Amino acid sequence: MAYAYLFKYIIIGDTGVGKSCLLLQFTDKRFQPVHDLTIGVEFGARMITIDGKQIKLQIWDTAGQESFRSITRSYYRGAAGALLVYDITRRDTFNHLTTWLEDARQHSNSNMVIMLIGNKSDLESRREVKKEEGEAFAREHGLIFMETSAKTASNVEEAFINTAKEIYEKIQEGVFDINNEANGIKIGPQHPTTNSTLPGNQGGQQAGGGCC
Amino acid sequence: MNFFRGVMGGQAAGPQPSGAETIQKLCDRVASSTLLEDRRDAVRALKSLSKKYRMEVGTQAMEHLINILQTDRSDSEILGYALDTLYNLICNDEEEEQDEAMQKQSDDLGAQFTEQFIQDPEHITLILSLLEEFDFHVRWPGVKLLTALLKNQGVQVQGIILVSPMGVSRLMDLLADSREVIRNDGLLLLQQLTKSNAAIQKIVAFESAFERLLDIITEEGSSDGGIVVEDCLLLLLNLLKNNSSNQNFFKEGSYIQRMKPWFEVGDDNSGWSAQKVTNLHLMLQLVRVMVSPVNSPGASASCQKSMYQCGLLQQLCTILMATGVPADILTETINTVSEVIRGSQVNQDYFASVNAPSNPPRPAIVVLLMSMVNERQPFVLRCAVLYCFQCFLYKNQKGQGEIVATLLPSTIDANSISAGQLLCGGLFSADSLSNWCASVALAHALQDNLTQKEQLLRVQLATSLGKPPVSLLQQCTNILSQGSKVQTRVGLLMLLCTWINNCPIAVTHFLHNQENVPFLTAQISENLGEDERLVQGLCALLLGICIFYNDNSLENYTKEKLKQLIEKRIGKENFVEKLGFITKHELYSRAAQKPQPVFPSPEQMLFDHEFTKLVKELEGVITKAVHKSSEDEKKEEEVKKTLEQHDNIVTQYKELIREQDAQIQELKEQVATMTAQSEQMQTTVTQQLSQIQQHKDQYNILKLKLGKDNQSNSQADSQVNGLQTEELTQLREEVEELRQQHTLLQTQLGDKDALINTLQSETAEGSAAASDNTELLKELEALRSQVQSQSVEIDQMKTERQELLRKAEAVSSEAVSSSDGSLDAAKMAEVESRLAAQTSETERLKEESKSLLESRAELEQQLATATSTVAILQTEKAKLQTEVQESKKEQDDLLMLLADQDQKISGLKQRLKALGETVDDEDDLDTRDQTDEDEEDEDEDED
Repeated sequence: MAYAYLFKYIIIGDTGVGKSCLLLQFTDKRFQPVHDLTIGVEFGARMITIDGKQIKLQIWDTAGQESFRSITRSYYRGAAGALLVYDITRRDTFNHLTTWLEDARQHSNSNMVIMLIGNKSDLESRREVKKEEGEAFAREHGLIFMETSAKTASNVEEAFINTAKEIYEKIQEGVFDINNEANGIKIGPQHPTTNSTLPGNQGGQQAGGGCC
Repeated sequence: MNFFRGVMGGQAAGPQPSGAETIQKLCDRVASSTLLEDRRDAVRALKSLSKKYRMEVGTQAMEHLINILQTDRSDSEILGYALDTLYNLICNDEEEEQDEAMQKQSDDLGAQFTEQFIQDPEHITLILSLLEEFDFHVRWPGVKLLTALLKNQGVQVQGIILVSPMGVSRLMDLLADSREVIRNDGLLLLQQLTKSNAAIQKIVAFESAFERLLDIITEEGSSDGGIVVEDCLLLLLNLLKNNSSNQNFFKEGSYIQRMKPWFEVGDDNSGWSAQKVTNLHLMLQLVRVMVSPVNSPGASASCQKSMYQCGLLQQLCTILMATGVPADILTETINTVSEVIRGSQVNQDYFASVNAPSNPPRPAIVVLLMSMVNERQPFVLRCAVLYCFQCFLYKNQKGQGEIVATLLPSTIDANSISAGQLLCGGLFSADSLSNWCASVALAHALQDNLTQKEQLLRVQLATSLGKPPVSLLQQCTNILSQGSKVQTRVGLLMLLCTWINNCPIAVTHFLHNQENVPFLTAQISENLGEDERLVQGLCALLLGICIFYNDNSLENYTKEKLKQLIEKRIGKENFVEKLGFITKHELYSRAAQKPQPVFPSPEQMLFDHEFTKLVKELEGVITKAVHKSSEDEKKEEEVKKTLEQHDNIVTQYKELIREQDAQIQELKEQVATMTAQSEQMQTTVTQQLSQIQQHKDQYNILKLKLGKDNQSNSQADSQVNGLQTEELTQLREEVEELRQQHTLLQTQLGDKDALINTLQSETAEGSAAASDNTELLKELEALRSQVQSQSVEIDQMKTERQELLRKAEAVSSEAVSSSDGSLDAAKMAEVESRLAAQTSETERLKEESKSLLESRAELEQQLATATSTVAILQTEKAKLQTEVQESKKEQDDLLMLLADQDQKISGLKQRLKALGETVDDEDDLDTRDQTDEDEEDEDEDED
């Protein structure tokens, strides 16, 4: 299970927008129409490949309910990516995006990649939020945007993978300090090329080398 | 409060009357003094009094101390004193020797002050913010204070920390502190913080706790490390126990692999310090947390898999077979191995293959079973072995078969000790614990396995010399009836119940012995003491199974007859009540909780976990079966039959579906391979298409280039390659020359043609003359014919003359000279002259025709020469044309060459560029640029 990088993600958004279902679809490739309310956070993981490199995604699916908000905030700081989810059939979930975004921006590190997701795209007949509105919101706030369906699995892979691509590009550009694990990024145990090109990080290297 | 005051006041009234007053004074100074030094001294004094006058300081000074924390943030010294004082107030010091009442009082004080302190959640946030202070004098007491608060009022403090932003993250940072004291106390703090609070546990895990803790454990020397390792392990246990999300994270983070080196314990075992034993114990517990039977089966299974794959199970088995391992560790290792293999076929198979390093090597299972039936082994160890054996057989039909096989006559190997032998030995030994363990172990070999239940019926035992062999089943009932210890009988009854349950053949075997049913009915109906109740209940259960799984093959003991027997001898109600004794037993519910056999004392070893499940399953149905009338039974039977029929139909359909499924699967696979093939094809097609496109593009580019090259003429060419262009121009000139020659020749040819034409027309005229000629010839012919006719006339005349001459001769001879003769002679002369004229005329005509013929021949000759010149010219022309073609070909070849070289050059350039060399563009800049310019010009032109 060697990987080049490990990214930590969080999934945030109002309750009932399908965060847990998105995660389940991504990690287990299945859909559960009736899902228990998430208590606090739940964990999921999957390996993906970008640019020929194995990347491990560790995903924390947070509870959307207001009462858990203070708990879920603790996860913002250590995440490299966030999926901010709303439900295209419920306008209020779209209206709350600003609050979510403010919260995320306030508690996360500034480089966190945020992907805006309009979920339940299979329910076209009940749509309340136009795709264009989502696009406009994303453009306005500098987010990546995508409409998904956890039920039909449409765009689910893409949502997670595109976020990873964005993070990966940021790493290549040197935006992220990959030796600071608090950013939600970790170099894999077997990654000699990157380590050799980054001098002066002996401590981090040793810690990594002890793994596996 | 009054109570405390009374106690403390009593003391204060003695030798130190000024205690409370001093504290009051100090508090005033803390509150009102403007000088930092004064305040600091006062707090320091409070600190020194805080242990002895805990209550006074607590009640009077707490507010002031908190104020100091808020206002004197800049002075770490005073902050340190204040925190220390608060710590002394809140911490319940357990180290000091105190009697129980004092301890209780101290605990109450701690709880009281804690409550007072956390009344305002801001106070906790305050401490959290103070922890950001790097100064040792602030951070350390801060950590200790927070730990004490958590110890006293865990739930509330946890709640406050949880909702304070970054609260948990800040505490996690303590683990990264370079000062070991703080890191180690940080560990204790986190231990308290994570106690039974899943939300905090998850956040701590999210903050890379696993990584850090495992690193610390490695740094500290793993199991050889000190108490810090222990603290890390305790914290890890807190994080993982009953927290499936964290367990999943632990597994997904590949941390299971990092546990393996913990168990690489040398065989020399020179040192098993108490700390090492503790550490290893906790390490084993951590492994067990990941594969606990209470976890979801899927989660456990994947952990078991990775434990085998990373070699952790193998490592544990090495410890299992090593010598000198403390019994405590050995026991826990056995329990751990048990749960690592439980229900996992691969791991079970591996375990079956493990051999002890003895001579000859014995299977680990056999070695372990030897301990189980050995009275001298510690009780917990024997329980652990039983658990291990149960886990080995759990959902393992193969293993069950192998164990039972060691008892079957055909496979018994007399030379070595087998598992079966050990179990039988245990079953009939004098030690009731061995009886019980062996019974339960054997029962697990039969669990849910009809084949083995039937196989075990074949087992015969040679009890003593001279007596016929007895079946194992019979031997069990024999011992039962001999009235041995309760533990033994309970064990055997559980074995019998498991054995004959759901196995009509075994029921028949059991009933076949005439003594069995009377024994059971006697046991159930008798009014026995408390101790015997459980045995009675189990007997009722056994009899109940005999009814429920009866196939009515024995006439004396059909379902109906057995029920009548119960009614007559025991009474239905009584029977059901006795049956109920089992589940009402105090130890029953404890055993039902978890699979591991754990008993506080050997005497309480009565119920097996799997057996409790069986009881739960059977109690209801047996009660129903006993209560049911025979008519109901018959109806039921019918229903059963129809159900069976239905079942048959269903199974038929199922089989059909299975077949179809298989077919579908096959077809799917076919489709998959086909699609794969087609995909491959398509990819090759697209590849080829793209290749073709590339070629086309290249071709087009070449064509364009060629066009341009042609257009830009020899100028560009000469710059690309002077030599060739020169040649080319030469050739071109030659061609041009040739062309000119050609045109010249053609004009000549035209002239010639014209000439020929004229000649031909002349010839035509000539031929007209020839026609004259023919006329002449005709005349000539006519003349000839005239001549001939005249000559014929002449001949005639000659002949006439000769006749006349002859007549004249004749006349002369008759002597008559006649004048006629002279007349005739004149006439003749005349004719002769006329003849001569005519002959000359003929002669002249002949000459004339001759000359005409000559002129005609001349003309013909002229014509021939003209045509020959034409032919020569034509060959010449053809030659020229081939020459032209050849030169053209040469030119094409040269152009091709040129193109090739161009390509080569550009290829090389690209390679150079790819290799990172700045291409020496100057070399071809002049050419390139110019061609580029040309191209651009042309582009513009084209535009």
